[in-house]
Amino acid sequence: MQRIGQFVLAIALIAALLLSACTAPAAAPAAPAGEAAAPAGDTAAAGGVTMSFWTRDSNQAQVRQLVDAWNESHDNKIEITVIPSGEYMTKVGASAAGGSGPDIIAVDLIYVPQFAAAGQLADITESAKSLSYFDKLSPSHVRLATYEGKIYALPFNAEGSILLWNKGLFKEAGLDPEKGPTSWTEIAADAAKITALGDDKYGFYFAGSCAGCNAFTFAPLIWANGGDVLSEDGATATLTDPSVAAALDFYRQLWADGQMPAGAQVDTGTDFFNAFASGKIGMTGSGAFAISQLKNDYPDIDFGVTFLPGQNDGQSSFAGGDSIGIPSGSKYAKEAFEFIEWLTTEDVQLEQYAKSNSLPIRTDLAENEYFASDPRLTTAAQAMAMGKTPYSLVYNQLFNDANGPWLKMIQTAIFDGNVEQAVQDGQDEFTKIMAEN
Amino acid sequence: MATMQAAATAPTGKRSSMARRRQVIGFLFVLPAALFMLVFFIFPLLMTVWMSLHDWPLLGTPEFTGLANYITMVQDRQFWSSVLFTTQYTVLVTIPIFLLAFVLALLVNLPLRGVGIFRTGYFIPVVIGLGTSSLLWVWLLNDRVGIFNTILVNLGLADKPIVWFAQKYTALLAIVISVVWKTVGFTMILLLSGMQAIPDEIYQAAMVDGATYWGRLVHITMPLLRRTFALALVLSVIGSYLAFDQFYIMTRGGPKNETITTVYWIFNNSFVYFKMGYGASLSLVLLVILTLLSAAQLRILRDDTTY
Repeated sequence: MQRIGQFVLAIALIAALLLSACTAPAAAPAAPAGEAAAPAGDTAAAGGVTMSFWTRDSNQAQVRQLVDAWNESHDNKIEITVIPSGEYMTKVGASAAGGSGPDIIAVDLIYVPQFAAAGQLADITESAKSLSYFDKLSPSHVRLATYEGKIYALPFNAEGSILLWNKGLFKEAGLDPEKGPTSWTEIAADAAKITALGDDKYGFYFAGSCAGCNAFTFAPLIWANGGDVLSEDGATATLTDPSVAAALDFYRQLWADGQMPAGAQVDTGTDFFNAFASGKIGMTGSGAFAISQLKNDYPDIDFGVTFLPGQNDGQSSFAGGDSIGIPSGSKYAKEAFEFIEWLTTEDVQLEQYAKSNSLPIRTDLAENEYFASDPRLTTAAQAMAMGKTPYSLVYNQLFNDANGPWLKMIQTAIFDGNVEQAVQDGQDEFTKIMAEN
Repeated sequence: MATMQAAATAPTGKRSSMARRRQVIGFLFVLPAALFMLVFFIFPLLMTVWMSLHDWPLLGTPEFTGLANYITMVQDRQFWSSVLFTTQYTVLVTIPIFLLAFVLALLVNLPLRGVGIFRTGYFIPVVIGLGTSSLLWVWLLNDRVGIFNTILVNLGLADKPIVWFAQKYTALLAIVISVVWKTVGFTMILLLSGMQAIPDEIYQAAMVDGATYWGRLVHITMPLLRRTFALALVLSVIGSYLAFDQFYIMTRGGPKNETITTVYWIFNNSFVYFKMGYGASLSLVLLVILTLLSAAQLRILRDDTTY
């Protein structure tokens, strides 16, 4: 009898716990309501609301500075939450499911189609198109923020891939240090001369086990050569495009000729920047971020910045960075857009972005007073403006996955030397993943 | 226990009410632990089961799909090859850990002055986080700046620096070395505490009977360590089957996806492909595999002897 009593008690407790646990997520939305109540109190005092804004930790310093500038000059305040990049998507996904998301959100531009397709972002088409400089906003950001004809985000910060060359090593190898390469042929010729210097110096470098690094710096070689990896609408894989094979073969030849250090093969991205910073690499694909980092931390390295080229001519870039949007659950959609509009204005783009060496997100501001003293930044801004970005609802699976088809294609072609097989497998796997989703 | 005592000594009503009070008090004592288990184990487990029955994207609405995830799993070649690879890794890492830990435990169990320094020294890597130690090894093994390659080349053991993570087996070897270094101290401490729990009298009696050091080791130490050994083995095997950090940091599953462990694959599905439901179903299968493995080990190493 007692046993039964205990059993019943235990079951009752478990049930009570499960119920309380189940109601926990439901209780969560109550929290923002509470938050909303607090700003309401503030409203009387300061005449504004407090909006929560989530961003990832890259560019943290610049984002904080930007938000501080906004808060100083506006009644509506912004409270920023910085989340580590690696956990960002999980946190955002969980908050969306629990209904406890922020009022404004910045996400890597490649995820915007996925966010929009899942109904996570508010449609801001009308407000966006009413901006007088709408057609000057980074075209790649806007293209990826467009889903089924509607706009769900605007550019928040920008990054463009470029080619770095070490002027010191160019000089040492008897090359013109002021003239960066403008084609694959020139890269190969220059690399050979630099590698010939010996003493652990190499002409070229790429992070051979880093999927994202190669979307950023290798895909532009294909684009510059007139090819593409996905169709314009993002619905079809186009890896069988001859430019893909040609670009792969260009890298394969550099590798086979020993123009890169052996460790490039296993670099998962830890050396993506460091290799060039060692001062022993002649050329490497990199991004605008590297310019200020090199200037600040490696003042001894004299480097040039040029566009990532095609086989004989042409140039391109991967336009990266974050886009900013308003989650569909935001309580302050109107106020949030005021912030978005503010940050895209010329004054903010110059004083908050360009002044601190960040690329403006507007193509009409690539050339500006702050970049005038360092044309390398202008080159990066121009690269971003002409840059492309693959549009896909499964971008992560296709391009960013360290175990996915993009990196596998690159490794098979370059390190195994089998370009034809690599391209065919890549095309098949891309097609399969795109069909599954 | 309380029930048995209460039943034995509960002839009168007064006593039985006291016994009930004791039960309530006992229940209150286990309540915190029970609550902890419920909130942090039972509930998440049930939630995982629930998720595994859905197509559960990271963004968007989950959709009930019954056993579809489990059917997908049967045909998921990468999953099964990851299970196979994880098993291979577990065997390759467990054997050296146990051999080395046993020898080290014997050594640091010697009644020598300053032996505590060695005990601490061997244990220190255990306290370092696995992520940190993996990064440390990435640099130690680096082909340009790593100390191992410098030593190998300077000693003439290699013509040129070895790119450890470029081939499956050198990559696996590098990871095994780093993990043995990292965890051997823990197994050593477990075995050491087991050795120290063996009463001296047994050794003394054996010595009176003329048993040699080896005789004592094989006939006293090893059999009496059986339970400790079982515990250490179960912990080590579970730890190895759950391997993720070291592969994520050191190889990223490469070269060519040949070093993808099961947890790595679960991570990829959940957080790279955003298929949370499928990730949940893989986790449950791994849980079942681990439960069966642990039960089997405990059964094989069961020690019914009482001393």
